[in-house]
This record gives sequence, C-alpha cells and structure tokens, in this order.
Amino acid sequence: MAEELIKVTIDGQEFEVEKGRPLIDVINEKGFGVPSFCYYADLELQASCRMCLVRIEKMPKLQASCVIRCTDGMEVTTKSEEIEKAQRAMGEFLLANHPLDCPVCDRGGECELQEVIFDWGDVEERFDEPKNAHPEKFLSPIVANDQQRCILCKRCTRVCHEWMGEDAIEAGNRGSNTVIGTYGGWLNCSQCGNCIEVCPTGTLLDGVYRHETRPWELDQTITTCTYCSDGCQLSVGSRADEVHRIVARDRYVNGINGEFLCIKGRFAHGFVNHGDRIKTPLIRYKKGGKLIPSTWDDAIAFAAERIKESKKAGVVATSRLTNETVHTLKRFADECRDGTSYAVSDTYDLAPFFENLSAPLCTHKEIRFAETIVVIGGDVDEEQPLTAKQIRQAVRNGGANLILVNDTPSRLSHQASQFIHVNPGTVEAFVLALADPSAADMAAAKMGIGRAEIDKARETANATKGDLIIMFGKELGAEAQAVAANLPSRHENRNVKLHPLAGYCNSVGASDMMPGRKPVADVVAGSDALLIAGSLSDEEFAAADLASKPFVAVQELFLTDTAAAADVVFPAASFAESDGTYTNNDGFVQRVRRAIDPVHQAKPDWMITSLLASELGADFGYSFSASAVFRSIAESHEAYEGLRYPDLKDETRPVRVKHKLVSGADVSGAVASLRDRVSQFPDAADKITEEPRVGHKLHRVTTMTGKTPQFHLLANGNPKPDDLLVSPLFQFNPDGSPKKEEESEVAAG
Amino acid sequence: MEIKAIGCEPLQLKRMHIENGHTLDVYRQTGGYESLKKAMNMTSDQIIDEVKASALRGRGGAGFPTGMKWSFVPRDSPKPKYIVCNADESEPGTFKDRYLLERDPHALIEGMLIGAFALGVETCYIYYRGEYKYLIEIMDRAIEEARQANLVGKNILGSDFNCEFYTHTGAGAYICGEETALLSSLEGFRGHPRMKPPFPAVEGLYACPTVVNNVETLTSVPQIIEMGGKEWQELGTEKSGGTKLWSVSGHVKKPGVYELPMGYHDMEKFILEDCGGMLRDDKKLKACIPGGSSVYAMRADQIIGKNVTLDYEGLVEAGSMVGSGGFIVIDETVDMVDSTKNLTEFYKHESCGWCTPCREGTDWLVKIFDRIWAGGGRPEDAQLILDLCDNIEGKSFCPLGDAAAWAIQGAVKRFPEDFKKHLLQNGNGAGTSGS
Repeated sequence: MAEELIKVTIDGQEFEVEKGRPLIDVINEKGFGVPSFCYYADLELQASCRMCLVRIEKMPKLQASCVIRCTDGMEVTTKSEEIEKAQRAMGEFLLANHPLDCPVCDRGGECELQEVIFDWGDVEERFDEPKNAHPEKFLSPIVANDQQRCILCKRCTRVCHEWMGEDAIEAGNRGSNTVIGTYGGWLNCSQCGNCIEVCPTGTLLDGVYRHETRPWELDQTITTCTYCSDGCQLSVGSRADEVHRIVARDRYVNGINGEFLCIKGRFAHGFVNHGDRIKTPLIRYKKGGKLIPSTWDDAIAFAAERIKESKKAGVVATSRLTNETVHTLKRFADECRDGTSYAVSDTYDLAPFFENLSAPLCTHKEIRFAETIVVIGGDVDEEQPLTAKQIRQAVRNGGANLILVNDTPSRLSHQASQFIHVNPGTVEAFVLALADPSAADMAAAKMGIGRAEIDKARETANATKGDLIIMFGKELGAEAQAVAANLPSRHENRNVKLHPLAGYCNSVGASDMMPGRKPVADVVAGSDALLIAGSLSDEEFAAADLASKPFVAVQELFLTDTAAAADVVFPAASFAESDGTYTNNDGFVQRVRRAIDPVHQAKPDWMITSLLASELGADFGYSFSASAVFRSIAESHEAYEGLRYPDLKDETRPVRVKHKLVSGADVSGAVASLRDRVSQFPDAADKITEEPRVGHKLHRVTTMTGKTPQFHLLANGNPKPDDLLVSPLFQFNPDGSPKKEEESEVAAG
Repeated sequence: MEIKAIGCEPLQLKRMHIENGHTLDVYRQTGGYESLKKAMNMTSDQIIDEVKASALRGRGGAGFPTGMKWSFVPRDSPKPKYIVCNADESEPGTFKDRYLLERDPHALIEGMLIGAFALGVETCYIYYRGEYKYLIEIMDRAIEEARQANLVGKNILGSDFNCEFYTHTGAGAYICGEETALLSSLEGFRGHPRMKPPFPAVEGLYACPTVVNNVETLTSVPQIIEMGGKEWQELGTEKSGGTKLWSVSGHVKKPGVYELPMGYHDMEKFILEDCGGMLRDDKKLKACIPGGSSVYAMRADQIIGKNVTLDYEGLVEAGSMVGSGGFIVIDETVDMVDSTKNLTEFYKHESCGWCTPCREGTDWLVKIFDRIWAGGGRPEDAQLILDLCDNIEGKSFCPLGDAAAWAIQGAVKRFPEDFKKHLLQNGNGAGTSGS
C-alpha cells in the first residue's frame, strides 16, 4: 500500500515520510534517537514510560512521540534543555525504586534501562529515601520475577496477550505498589518466555539461565532453531564450549521471528551439553552382545565392512537433520551401492504437496498481513508457535478473517472468525468440500456441520482481495495434500498462498533433498543393512524390529531405542555444534551455525556419512567443509540452484528456495479417491469439546526436551510450590511429587 | 450541614428539602419530566444549541463546555452511542453529587434522557464510585419507577425513542473519575486511563461515540431546557453560565452544599458570612482550596479584600480554579506541611501506576514528606519538591499527575513559612508538632 508522502521537520531538517507513521519510528530511523521503554513496534501503544517526550510545535505540552502519528508540516524538536530535563527526570524516577543491583543482575550489561542511563553518563542520584524492596520470586519452574527491578513498561503483559493470547501475566495492585504477577500466583501457561525476552530490565528472568554467567562472557552465535518447522532465528549464548542460554535477537534487528521464541526454542537446550550424550563410537561386535566404546577408525571400518557384505542397503534420514546431512545420505544411497533405497522419517510426507504445488509458500510476514487465513487441521499453537503468533496478530492487529477447521478446540479457536468444529478425524473432508462443490453436502454431513458453514467459508475466501493463506496439518493424507496444493489454481484470487504445517525443523528441506524416497517401513523391510541418521519414531521403531536386522548403524546424540538396537552407533553433533542449513515452512533456507565445538568425539552427521562413504569407495568431493556440501546441494537440486553460504549470511533477509510451481495439474484422480475415502467416514460421531490444556504438546518430555529438568515438572502438572522464593527444582522430584524435607535441604544446601 | 441556595432560586437544590423528593410522584409534582416532553418536541440541533447557549461547563472539574462536547458526537455514526454519567465523585472535599443522587435521582435520569434524545443514544450508564454503593438502590428504584411510567425503556412517552439505563459501581479508585479510566473500568478492565485522542466523543465506551458528563452537569440540563439556554446562562456570567454547587467543608460554622450563581461576589463574603464565618471565632482564615484538592490553595491575603468572584474566570484570575467546587476552608491552626503531606499520600495511594512520573513521583514525594515529618527535613527539600512536581506536571499520562503536582506546588510556593519551619530545624526531630 503506497501511503501518501508528507513533510516532517525534525530538529530543523526536513524529511519526506509516509503519512501516519509513528513519530518515534521516524525519529529513530533518521538517526535522532529518543529513548523509550514501553514502545514496542506492533504491540498496542502504551505511552506510559514517558521517556520519548519531544516538543511538537503548536502542541501545548511535551508529547510522547510513540503515540504521535506524522502529519504534514509537523515540526519536531528532539533535543533541547526542556526535553533533556524531562527525559532525565523520567530516568531518575525509574531509578528511584530500582534496586541498582546491576552487578548481580542477569541483565547487567544488556539492560535497556542501564543503557539509557549510561548514555547520559552523568546522572546524579537525588533519591536517598528507602527503596521499596521485594524478594525475587519464581512464577514457574522457568520464569523468575524480581519485581523491584520492574519499570512497568508492560511489554510482558502485552506480548502475553497479543502474541500468545494467553493472558497469563497481568499487573496487580496500584500505583507504586503495582507488580507484574500471575493469576493465582503461579504461571500455568505455555511458558514461552517471551515476557523474559522483551523485558528491558532484569525483572523477568530465564529460570534455566539464571545466575549462570554474565551476558558479556557469552559468545553469541546466530543460528536456526532445531525444533519446529517455523525456523525461528535465535542466538545461542555459549561460554567455553557450553551452551548456557538461547535468546531471540535484538528488538529491531532480527530474523523472521523478531524477539519471539517458544518454550522449546528458548529453554530446551539442556540436551546439548547433557551428560548422557554418546561420547565415543560404539560397536556391537556380535549380535546379542553389548555396545562397546570404540574409535572412529574402527567403527567406520566395521560399519563399511558390514554394509559391503549386505545384500541390500537402506538409508533412513530424519527431518531434524540439516540439508547437508540429508543430501549426503541421499548421495550415500545413490553412489555407494546400487539399489540402495532411502526414506525420511517425519510426521507426514510432503511429497504429494510439493508435486502439485500451484502457488508459492507464504512467509510468516505475509501471514501477519494476510486478509484471510484458513487453517485446516494441525495444532498451530502447540506445534508451530510462531505461525500461531502471526495468525493471532493478523486477526487481532490486522483484522484478518480466520477460518479454523479442526476437530479439537484450541486457544486459537476463540479468536477465529469462523471455527468449523468437525467430527474427529474428518478435516480432510473440508479439503474435498472446497475442491469439489458437488461433494460439499456429503462432506458437511461427514464433518457433522451444516452446509452453510462451508458456504460461509467459501464466501469469505471469495471476497478476499488481499492475501488468502491456506494452511494444513498432518491430518491430510496424500490425496488431500495433493488437492490442497492444487486449490490456488482453482481460485480466482491470485494472492492465494500455501503454508504446510510441517512437523520438524527441516521437514521441507529433507523433502527437497530426498526426491524419490520411499516410506520408512518399505526401506526398513527391504534392507538387510541400514544406516539411520537420527532415531525412528516410536511407531516406526515398533514396526521395524531392528534387532532382527543383520546390520544397523545409527548416528545419534543419545542412546535412544533406535541407537540401542544398533550394531554401530556414531556420536553425532547437535545443531549447536555443526554448520548447515534448514529449510523452513516458508521455504526459507537458513543457516545453522556452529556455536561450540562438537562435544566429546561427536562429528557432524554429514561428515559421518561421508566418512563411511569414502570407506566404501565413494568420493563426494567434500569431507570437512559444510559449505562445500551446500555447493553440492546447489548443483544437484534445482530449487537451490546457485545458492552459496555467503548468500545466507543475513538472517534479516532470508533466502527463499525456488520450489517448482505446477499450474493446472489434473488432480481429478486425487479428488475422486479423496471422495471415496471421505464417503467411508462414519456418519455420526461425538465431537471433541474439551480444549486440551495449554502446553500439552510443547511441554512433552522427549529425548531432547527431557534433558532440561524443568520440562519434567511442566509435563507433570506444573505443581505450585509452597515456597516461591526457592526454585521448584529443589522442591519437587521430576515426577512432580514433593521432595522429602531432608532431600530438599540437601539439594538446596 | 447546610443545603441551600444563596443569591438565586434553588435550582439544583430544588428538591433537597422536600419530603420524598426522590420519588417519581414528587418529582412530577414539582415540574419533573416536563423538560423531557419539551425536549422531545425539539430537534437534536435545537437541544444542543440551547445547551451551548447556556454556557454550561462540565461540573466534574475540567470545566469543558458541555454543548460543545455534545456537538463532537458524530450523530451519523452507524455505531451505537452512549451517555455515561460520571458519578465517581472522589475529589477530596467534594460531596455535592452525593446529595443529587440521593435526593433527586430523577433529575439525573431526565437530564440523561434529554441528552440521549438529542444525541441518538439508546443506552445510558451511571458509573458510581465504589463508596456510593449504598446510593445505587435509590437510583435503581428511580429507574424502575421511570420505566413503569414509560419514561425509560422502549417507546418512551409513546414515541419511537428508546433508552435503557444501567448503574454500575467502581471498586474504589480515584482514577476512575478520569473519563477514559472510567470507561476502561466500565468495560471491565483495570481502571487505567486511555490515550486521547481519540476522545470519548469519537471512540469511547466499547470504541463507540460516548459522552461522559458529571452528575451536576446532567442535572442542569432539564433546567436549561425548561428555562431556555440563554435565560439559564444569564443567572451566571457570560462564560460561566447558570448556578453551581459548592461543597463547603473545613473550618467554617456552617459547612454544606451551597448553590451559588456563577460570578457570585465575593469569596470573602461567602466564607465569612454565608457559611457562618470561621469555626472558632478567635482563629483567622489561613487558606482556602476552592475547587477540590487538585487546585492551588489560596492564601487568606489572596481572598480578603480582593473581590474574588466565584466563577471560572474569577478564580483563575485570583490564582486558583473552580475545579469540582470542593471548597475547603483552612484556619491558622493548620500546618500546611501536614495537610499537604496528607494530600500527597492521597495522590500516591490513588496513582494508578500506569505512567512513570505519577507513579514514582508521588511515591518519592510521600517519602520526602514522611522524612520531613519525622524531623529529617533539609533546607534543599523545598526546591527538590518543586522540581519533582515540575517533572511530573505536564509529563504524566493523564491529569492525575498534574493534579498531584498542583496541590503540592501550591502549598510549597504559597506557604513557604510553614515549610521553612520544618526544613530549617534539620535532623534533631524537634520540628514535629502533633497532628
């Protein structure tokens, strides 16, 4: 939208700016600079810190520039004696009851209040009355609150409300007694920690990182999150080969997620330096024997020998691996032994979707500014938290229409303009109803909804002039995915975009890297020697019966069920220890960067695979450089053509891979088989009315999240301790039961 | 307790002394609801023009011309429109609305109905301060009576005019007397003020056009319609029309609610004669806070022999403001440090905590006053207090900060001798007089 340009004069200099922009943004952008604490772009305006006061001609008082919109001919003064006195006065007021315990504060060194005061340099403290003192309290196992440091900018309550839709924290009491608190004294939310991230001072504290190091001692490495497919950019803080904390980035310079992260991305990094990591390669020399620590040379030689002996080899990748690894595994399958089959273990296979893709994937920014968003299935709040946040802001701040099709109510369904609550397991019928109006009545009956609901959704979609975004989750089978991918080409709106709610951080990339893959079960069943990078899902593992295989090699971080069943286990490096790339559900290929050296004897996955390949006589032309692997990717995958690591340097300008668009594909076969399938759905079913608790998936204890002790408490009901001054970890056992007195004393002592 | 009009016929106080004045029957017998009938035969513009002609200014404290406020409401807006009566009377020293609500509830209903008719409003809210909960029953009963008489509800008096009334209480916060905070509270949120603009007339309750008026402002409306705007204005002065209620308290013999025509001459006579003179004959007048605690206190020598007229212009000229008409008379026994300490504590207690200067400034000021009162005053404290007030004034989010600053600045600037007494006896604790 081209906005009218107008003239604004700031400190005597004239600028052309878009009409109606927040004055504070213009002032800062043009390099004049006003301090502010409560202003936060894209959150509701607050104007409470009163730091950004400026003088505007023809206005009686100093004005808070955050709430002023630029108008033509506005004359602004940002620097004068009067303004500096006012701004310093606000600083002085904020410091009055602030404890000034910077030397022991986790924020010391990256505190915005500290920075503003230090920028002035000569602030005299006139306040010598007693300060209002309060003890530091825990709000949850993961969030601590030192309320006396609070300057009540309320960024935390606003992100909780506007980003998360949780309203878990709110201000309580009044006046100088105001505190940021919780309902019932304990946080029962998704524990995303965004309140901690946006806090300008050390009021809300990361319970995992608390008192670990000073911020300036940390090396900050910008990388991509290893959990869901949203691909948030984050900064890994490490010191001496140990990961201490993860934060998003700066308030203004940042990747697709800004300062947003979810509980997993922010807190579940304990696995990286966990004591259970596999330390050396392990070999089981004889079936039925034990896994015995070994050297790399022996393990590679042993594995290569067994694979050579086998009749048919198989390779299984997982979608948490980097593109580099999956690509190398594919090459391993192609180039080491003829007839090697390969598969990717994921929640669902995106192949039918990408084969019929008729519109570009949408970016997270486009979601925020979309006009209509249709979410078919999935559980965005729990599985793709950034996408959920963007949807929520689109609805809340952008007035977008949200059509939610799901069998289970969720937090987002309260915000939906239309929540189509379907019978359990029938969301696919909605895709059919959209693709084939003649089947709409049947589909509506199977979903247990009125036909009018489908018509209403269709009307909303047809009336949409801006971006219309269709998202879908893992409920969609192959036919439904193909039909969904084809939907945009049937719609007259040219702004239709698609967004797969993929399962893992590199689901899209792994799908790109391994065209022609087979289902995991087929590969496992058809091979007598298996190379598995990562672990099989529980269902896949149960079906695979790995113990009966003549030979299985596994690359893993931990001795999971899959690894424990292997004959050779290679210790793999985690995302924090390796270079590479992930491709997210926007189609952005983003860098994963090595923050620390691989722990113990671990090696990056792609390197393990290529070592094994060269032992088998294949030369991939790379052995020690991830960027060389990426070049090989760019040379062999059309969508990645021409890309090099230097192109991916700037996380604020992510690079999109070029997925091929297929327009006008004939999906009538898929529609027909989808119709058959839908017609076999039961006619009547009880709807799921209970809304699952917040965090039911986010807090789940998995191989990775389980290494952060706080997750065990959250998964076990997040019990509220009697003593809020002491970490719940000292008061509860991992299963949520209270520790016996003696134990807790020992632990605390 | 005196409740009477001086210098004019009792208009607002017409039914104060009539038995059962709060009932519909008595209200009608004394001319009630005739103005509504008259107004319903007028056009919207005619009604608003009459209110404009009356020079009626908001009686809650800010003194904004009511007719102009009404004319800001976009009448062609497709959104519902609201009239909200601000009965959150909590300015220290102010208690006039209480009597109107208790003894003449129908006057308020009629005033609101006339406004509603003029502005196309179908829903009216009366927001009581939490402490006035006991008065709500009277209003609820009055509304019910009016409903039975087809004065509230659907098709009022057989016309196609519909208007519904609701009463609501706050939870005891001074800030909810500020119109935007009142609206937040009425919507069920924390009573925090909101950004202006947009002003409530454009985006108020539930983001719809809303008029927020004080009780006394609205009870004036039936008289204006009855008498005609011009005639009503002529009771007072050109810019301050009509009559005004003053809540007189403090060291006078006859405290109470007085109705005076605007421009009443003069303030000295009012205190020393009309209100019965000083409470103790041997004690002299020291100060008067004429408009509720938030305005500058006046020294006796700004009143005695100065011909101060009681209206918006006269009091500004004399160095204070009409405010809400909370008229506090103070004699020479009062230590202004003590009374200001009390007021500072009030503002600290009532600061909502939204913005930095008001929240932290009032907290700091209370700590300074506490220290001074404990004998720890320092000579530089007066300057510090004034500087802190200056740092609050004009920088706070809403007028509460300004009000706190004015009350304190006024005392420090105008009663330096009281402060000197405390600030120069530094450290030895001897400065404490009993309070």
